Amino acid sequence: MTYAITGDCCSDASCVSACPMNCIHPSPGEPGFGTTDGLFIDPRTCIDCGACAEVCPVDAAKPADQVTPAELAANAEYFADRPLLDGLDLDSWEPPRFDPWTGGPRRVAVVGAGPAGMYATRELLLRSTAEVTVYDRLPLVGGLARYGVAPDHPSTKRIVATFERVIAHPRVRWRPGVEVTELGTSYDAVVHAVGSYRSRLLGIPGEDGERSCTAAEVVAWYNGRPGGERLPVPLAGPRAVIVGNGNVALDLARLLVSDERRLAGIELPAAVRETLAESTIREIVLVGRRGPDAAAYTVSALRDLLGLEGVEVVVDADGRHDPLPESLRRERLDLATPPRPGRRVVLRFGTTPTAWDPAVGLATSSGVIEAGNLFTAIGFAGSPVHGLPFDEERGIVPNVGGAVLGRPGQYVTGWIKRGARGGIGANKACAEETVRTLLNASTGALAGGPEVSAALL
Amino acid sequence: MQDTDVTAQRLLTSAARLSRDPETEIDWDAPVGDGYGLSPEWSTLYATEYWDELTEAEQRELTRHESASIAATGIWFELILQQLILRDVYAVSPASPEFQWALTEIADECRHSIMFARASGRLVDAEYRPRLPARELGRMFKAVATGESAYAAILVAEEVLDVMQRDWMRDRRVEPLVRTVNHIHVVEESRHMVFARDETRQRLAGAGRVRRWTSALVIALAADMIVSSMVSREVYANVGLDVERAVRAARGNEHHRSLLRSSCANLMDFLGEVGLLTAPAARIYRRTGML
Repeated sequence: MTYAITGDCCSDASCVSACPMNCIHPSPGEPGFGTTDGLFIDPRTCIDCGACAEVCPVDAAKPADQVTPAELAANAEYFADRPLLDGLDLDSWEPPRFDPWTGGPRRVAVVGAGPAGMYATRELLLRSTAEVTVYDRLPLVGGLARYGVAPDHPSTKRIVATFERVIAHPRVRWRPGVEVTELGTSYDAVVHAVGSYRSRLLGIPGEDGERSCTAAEVVAWYNGRPGGERLPVPLAGPRAVIVGNGNVALDLARLLVSDERRLAGIELPAAVRETLAESTIREIVLVGRRGPDAAAYTVSALRDLLGLEGVEVVVDADGRHDPLPESLRRERLDLATPPRPGRRVVLRFGTTPTAWDPAVGLATSSGVIEAGNLFTAIGFAGSPVHGLPFDEERGIVPNVGGAVLGRPGQYVTGWIKRGARGGIGANKACAEETVRTLLNASTGALAGGPEVSAALL
Repeated sequence: MQDTDVTAQRLLTSAARLSRDPETEIDWDAPVGDGYGLSPEWSTLYATEYWDELTEAEQRELTRHESASIAATGIWFELILQQLILRDVYAVSPASPEFQWALTEIADECRHSIMFARASGRLVDAEYRPRLPARELGRMFKAVATGESAYAAILVAEEVLDVMQRDWMRDRRVEPLVRTVNHIHVVEESRHMVFARDETRQRLAGAGRVRRWTSALVIALAADMIVSSMVSREVYANVGLDVERAVRAARGNEHHRSLLRSSCANLMDFLGEVGLLTAPAARIYRRTGML
């Protein structure tokens, strides 16, 4: 018996440093860290001590008898072609890393209390004696971890509790419900962790028409995000199209095809559960412009979808020359006519949407898809931050290691720093880099640094 | 089986999978080199002016004495811990996994203490012990502490030591003997910490506010005692340093506090999660440099 890491892994690598046998990989700094679908435990060297499970912020490390066979196989598979690392040979471990104390800033403002801002705050508290003021537009801490993670992934949401403890630290001042508008002079440094909350658009005719909206708006609604209390469009059915095949698209698909029984097991606001249960949508077509090899979802998200009880998953294709699981059904469907009975998710690749007409459906490069709703989930883009330079093309604030170009004292972390890629845990390494840059640049409290003047909403 | 027994059974199986015997695993007759006693960055004087004035040989010697002093604190606490556990399982059924694991842990601690004692003797020609008030308080603590106070105090001591040792065992500058000793401790300690966390959670289930508040305070005071006992004043004297100046420099060493704080992050997370990070406790941890 060993431990194994499930698909809920946030990759923040807390477990890596807790393992006494060096059997969790890829570790930060190793090739593959941040790009593989989570972390894995080498069953050849795991001694079943459970230290990883103790520190996992999302409960993803579990005894092997408590994970699915697919997850167990995924852990073993990762190491199949990798040499056996002998935990007892201490020279096969990464050497420790020490960041010397630098004097540090006195007062730092962190704008944004999502995962990026919270990891940055935590790192600042550990590595400096700075007093940190955290601002957020919303009343509660957690950002996308609270308002973006699908409600049927409750263990991933558990990380919010970790963030709440960061906010409760005696050296933190928490300023919720504040829109930071202008920068002036009472902080030694400002870390902007504002994310990339603007949904990318398709740019096709009819996109802003009836029964069309972004997936992000629906996600905000079913997560009870302030400002997202109302479902932006009526759910029409019986078929809906979701353009995009990242994890957000898959989250939305899962929720929309869930029947009343499954919804009952998910923690949702009552009104949301009612609306979803009453919806007549029973078929979701996920449209991707490129092939399945370019699909943006993670392996574990696909596994989740395939594991849905009472829901058929079909790839709308003839061939089998794709990287999708063999067991997945391939079938040419006629999407121009109403769906056949049953609940279903259809994966449609190599299809470019060209226009939305609520009366007909979605016109695409390969024919019309009859549908009552269009949801777009093709990613997010950053918005310019007041007073900072902005790279329109990449949707980020241009920076070097987190330091904003040409703006001493101003730093960025998270999606606004590196673009809208990577899950919750990816923000840890990202925030650590930014804080390292910040502390190296700051050799003591600076006189007359930038100030955040904030307006109460 | 009760939750504690499930955990204990799992840990017993893990111990069967890999238990380490310093007696046979370490060649105690091999000559000891002149490596560092711990990662220099972990020295109480690192990053201070005093450190920069020392020659590299003096710095190395200092870390060897610091390492021996910390090991002595480790031994002292392991003795307390063995008695705490023994008292706690005195009336538990010998057939239960909880009982058997508890004795396995005592056996581990016993071996570790011998190992630390022997390794320190090989590393430096000096003897270290916590100062008298600490020893007397420890004597009292091992006799009266119960439930979550006992287990969380065990956790605090072991976890602080553990994170430092994880750095030292991976550090190629550190004397190979110290690296091996530390790894043996880290492997077995990871099981002990899982058990201590589990016991702490179980004992706290249903605890009222007053008890939680009191326990939190007791644990924080124990932590303060342990952390402040780690590097004794004699260390500086034995290396030939100006003791007053060294103690002053060590006390004001923010780099050291920042390393300690980072090391305690998981521990503080746990204490926060189970409600043992009350405001007075947090104040003590901040003073100690753990929060």
